[in-house]
Order: sequence, then C-alpha cells, then structure tokens
Amino acid sequence: MYLCLESNAKFQLYLHRMFHNVKREKLNQEARVAKIEKDKPKIESYLSLQSLVFEARQNHQYTVESLNKTTDLLMINPEFYTIWNIRRETLLELFAQKQLDKVKTLEDDLKMIMVLFRRFPKCYWIYNHRLWCLRCLGQSANWQVELAIVSKLLSVDQRNFHGWHLRRIVVHNYEVQTPKTPQELLSIYIKEFEFTTSKVNQNISNFSAWHNRSKLIPKIYKYYQEVDSEFIDQAEDLNKYTQVFSSRLSLLQHEIKLINTGMYVDVDDTSVWLYLYWLLSDEFFTEHLDKQVYQRTLEEQLEIIRELNELEKDDNGKDNCWCLKTMILIKCLLANVHNNNSAPSDLLTDEIKSFLEILADIDPLRKGKYLDQLHGKAELLY
Amino acid sequence: MTLARLKHIQYVKNVDDATSRQSFEYWLSEHLRLNGMYWGVMALVGLKSLDTLPKPQVIEYVLSCYDAKSGGFGAYPQHDGHILSTLSGLQILLIYDSLHTIDDKRAQITKFIKDLQLPDGSFQGDSYGEVDTRFVYNAVSSLSILGQLTEDVVERASQFLVRCENFDGSYGMEPGAESHAAQVFTVVGALAIMDKLHLVKHDKLATWLSERQVKEGGFNGRPEKLPDSCYSWWVLSPLTILGHQNWVDLARLGDFILGCQDEEIGGFSDRKDNQTDIYHTCFAIMGLSLADHELYDLEAIDPVYCMPYSATQKIQKWPYAGRE
Repeated sequence: MYLCLESNAKFQLYLHRMFHNVKREKLNQEARVAKIEKDKPKIESYLSLQSLVFEARQNHQYTVESLNKTTDLLMINPEFYTIWNIRRETLLELFAQKQLDKVKTLEDDLKMIMVLFRRFPKCYWIYNHRLWCLRCLGQSANWQVELAIVSKLLSVDQRNFHGWHLRRIVVHNYEVQTPKTPQELLSIYIKEFEFTTSKVNQNISNFSAWHNRSKLIPKIYKYYQEVDSEFIDQAEDLNKYTQVFSSRLSLLQHEIKLINTGMYVDVDDTSVWLYLYWLLSDEFFTEHLDKQVYQRTLEEQLEIIRELNELEKDDNGKDNCWCLKTMILIKCLLANVHNNNSAPSDLLTDEIKSFLEILADIDPLRKGKYLDQLHGKAELLY
Repeated sequence: MTLARLKHIQYVKNVDDATSRQSFEYWLSEHLRLNGMYWGVMALVGLKSLDTLPKPQVIEYVLSCYDAKSGGFGAYPQHDGHILSTLSGLQILLIYDSLHTIDDKRAQITKFIKDLQLPDGSFQGDSYGEVDTRFVYNAVSSLSILGQLTEDVVERASQFLVRCENFDGSYGMEPGAESHAAQVFTVVGALAIMDKLHLVKHDKLATWLSERQVKEGGFNGRPEKLPDSCYSWWVLSPLTILGHQNWVDLARLGDFILGCQDEEIGGFSDRKDNQTDIYHTCFAIMGLSLADHELYDLEAIDPVYCMPYSATQKIQKWPYAGRE
C-alpha cells in the first residue's frame, strides 16, 4: 500500500499518478487530440528503451551501455523501482569485473541523484538509491557533504519528511563511520541542535524541527555531564551552551522561554503547544526535578497561559481552546504533584468541568472528546 | 453535495481503458499498477459495484505480476517483487475469494515476506534495505491473509513498532522519525492484527489523531499542514480501531470529502478543485464509508485491513488456536 507519494506537477490528464496540490484542469477535445499525437512517439521510445533494459537483464548483459540505458530511463521516470534494482545489479557486476572505478562511479550516481532531487523532491526510491550508494562507498562516503546537501534540501522544503529522514540517517552514519570521542559526538549533536533552533526561528510552526529537538536534548544533556568540563570550556561551539545544559532545570527554563515567545506569536499553533506538553510532562524532566521546583514551574506556566487566555478573551470575546486545554493539563499535573498521582476521577474538579463545557462549545470539531472527558469516559491526563 | 456515485464508477473503469493507454503518463505508472488496481477495486467495493470489473481478467493480471525470482509480487509483469505490491496482490485475491489460485506459491510468498524481517524486528520493502513502518504493516497484513503469522514474527515486529512511538503518543516511519498520520494507520493496524493494541497509549494517540481535523473539516497528516482527502482514511481508521470515532466531527469530514469530488467526470482529489487520481479516489471513498457507510450507501470497510468485512472474516485471527 502506497502512502502519499507526491510527484511533480508537469503531467495533466493523468489518472495513475498521485496528485498533491495540482489544480484541476480539463483539456478540450482539440487539446486532447493534440496531446495524444504528441505522446505517441514519446510512448514508443520509452517502451523500446524499457524493453532494451529488461532484455539486457534477462541475458545477463551487464555493460556500461546497459547501465547508461537505465540512466536514461530513470531520468524520465525515477519511480520505476525495478530499474533502480537493475542499475544496482549492473553496477555491482561492473565493479566486480573491474570495468568501472567503484568510488568514481558511485560519486557520479550521487551527482545524478542531485539532479533528480530537484525535479522529484518526494520520490522514495531516489532517497533509497542515494543511501545505497553511500553504504557501498563505506569509508569513502563523505557524510559532511551529505549533511550540507540535506540542509539545502530542508531549506527548500522545511517539512519534507524524506529530507528529515535522510538527515537522521546521515548524522547516524557520520557518528559511526569512524570511532568518535564523546567530545566529537557532542559537537555533532550541538550542530543539529543549532539547526533546529534556526528552523524554528525561521518558522515557529515547523513541528519537524521541534520534534527533532525533543530527540536531541536528552542525548546532548547526557554528553554535557560526561565530557570533561575543561574540554567544553575550551571548545567555542560547546562552551556557549554550558549554562543551558548545566542542569535539567536550566534546560527546561531555556526551552520554556523559547516556547512562551512562540505562544504569543501564534496562540493557535499546534506545534508550539505540543512541544510545551513535552517539556512539562516528559519523564526526562519531571522525574529528576525537585518536587517544589517542578510545582513552581507548572504554576508559572499556568499563570502565563491564564493571562494569554484573558488577552484572547479581550480580543475575540471568547476563550482560546489551546489555552484551556493546556490549563487542564497543567492543573492535572499539579494535582498529581500534590497527591502523588491522584485517582483519575479526582482530577475532574468543578473548574475542569467548566473548562470542558466551554471547550465543547468553542472547539466543536472535538466536542465528542470533551464530553467523554466530562462524563469520566476518557482520561484527562495521558 | 451528494456522492456522484455513477461518475465515480465510470472513473475507475476509465483508469485502464483504451483512451488512457494513449497517454504517456499511463506508461510511466506501471510501477504502481498492482497497487492502483487494489485502489480501483476498493473504490468499487466501497461503491458496491465490484461486478463492474471482469473478475477473470483481474485475477489473471494479479497472477501475471508474480515474480518467481523473489517470491513476491511486482507491480507489473517482469517488475521485481516488493512488499508493497505483494500486499496489494494478496488483498485483491482475497477480496475476489481467489486465494486458492496461489496455492502452489504460498510457501515462496511466505518465505519472501519473512526473509524481509531484520534483526530489530522491522521489515525492509525488498532486499535493498529501505525500512519503514509501512512495510511492517504490509508484511504483517500479508502474513495474516496467508494465515502464516508466528510468535517470533509478532513479538519482534511489535517491539519494533513500539520503538517508533513519539512523545505525542503517535508514530513515525522509524525510531526517531516525526509522527505522521499515515504511519499511525500502519502501526495501529499492524498491532491490531497481532493482538497487541495494549501497547498503544490509547487516549493520547486518539487525542493526537483528533487534532488532525482542521477548520475545513478535513484531516491533515501532521501538525500545521493542509488537509488532504486521503488522510480521511489514515486518521479515521486508527481512531475507529481505538473506538474514538466520536472524537471528530464526521459530518464535517464527509462534507470536506464530498467537496473533493469531480462531479463532472468522477474521481476525488486531495483538496477541492485539484487534479483527481485513483489513489485519492480510493481513500476518499474509504473515509466516507468509515464516517457513515449507511448515510452514503457504501459498503462497510474493516478499518484494520482496508478490505470489506466479507473478505476479512475469512482471515484466521491471531493468536491462532492450537499454536505451539
């Protein structure tokens, strides 16, 4: 089963390709006939090229010439996964026969993929082949160049999940390619941390960046505790974060400050609230904070959000649903701090009931959920 | 707006007609043909019009996609076996009650799928190493259709899926990857098949899924993205499996989906007035059926398998009785 494979918008009148964000357009009879005429020779040459490639495979003819035919075919249609397979078979055979220089050829393939990336930024198979080439290159792979390339990709489309996927793999491979000291690893993670900072500074709604940040923070924190502090003091890229990563509390405060700004920029931005939920409820913070400090942090956030909601009420004449949802969450977290994990039914106070009633009114799409919570049929804290 | 039923039936029939074969793009899409056939079949199942397609030709086509070298199905004759097309092939055969036509290949198909499982429990799509929670679903659903799940496959696969959970209670394509609604279907569907739904944080995940409904009434796939009719299926199926369909506004969803149809020539697009395609046509109709199959006079669809109940009731449910 395919998931939203997105393709370029060049082709119209096309029932098979999956379209995303392409305006509906209908050709009149004349244009339709003209297109059929225009397509005829294209279909012929495409199909003959295809049969040559399959024929060569059938006859085990793995030559430079047959390799070039797969290039031609893939430049027209990079979604044709079998052709990528034939290409890889051919490459391996030609390397084994020493007909082609392995490193040089694979580097050429990486260049070819750059051309395809621009035309088909969301084609799974292209990413797949790039990773195959890099794996084959082994120690010759230049993961730093890869990192630069994927940064470029993500600057063109900041939420492209293929791009983020590739980035995780690239970072991982860079980590493991040669044995790295904790210091070196820390430098890599800090660069990634800064990358997410720059992304959310450009666009606070970039949840892909917030997500990655939530994965990086625990790793970086661990290394700041392990790596020799003298080394960190001398490393310019690291010492500027010494204070932030000095404790879970300072880290929490640093991130909360960032997210509080975001809440004021756009109070209806889902990504900002989701990240705040992580900060306030993840074990990485909650299990290690002093109980009173944690309680105070929650109370401060409750107050900030209450004020924000008042501003919203002044502006729009009604409560803001994200403020109310978050106030419920914080009140439940506070109740648990006070009572060492309350019974779920104890959380449903009159105040929370009144919040849920307002939510059912102002956020009608999810009314069913609020009513379930109001009637004790769904958890308030999860 | 009402469902342009007859137009959609005609639309699916036209996908593979002589006119469409005259367009270059038809030939560029061979790599999706078996998947496309499944989408067409399911669109027609939803519309209660499967008899529109000639069964013998459909079965013959599916069998012609079998790739004896790998033991899986490719998307088109001569194409390599892949887990994506293998599931599509098996689904079509089951829907047509024709699994007996592969009796001589069952052992090879089962081996093909099981060999794709990696030591960490994940599945690759073929022998070239791409790993994705989609492929876990494809493999688990395929093995389930074949009645070939094992304790070993189930334990390892479910452990891998757990590692793909994020702090928001939702799931991504691999451990560390951002939550994505389509991956949630594959994870929750696979866990449901493997009788492992207790591994999901029900209310947290259902909340995340309910947040996917945006003011237009449709669902998006990730926070702060545009709605798209195909997510009607990817979001509503796990919500249905979790028993929280009522956490979204199904009437508003239905209106959004109907707004995506081309009333003139049939078919659905991702959003209103965009280009239609068979993929969105399938999952828009599936979404409508899940939302209210009686209201729209559609066939009821099993949210776990994305097939009609008449087909899925033939599947042996895990854990198998009398297993060791």
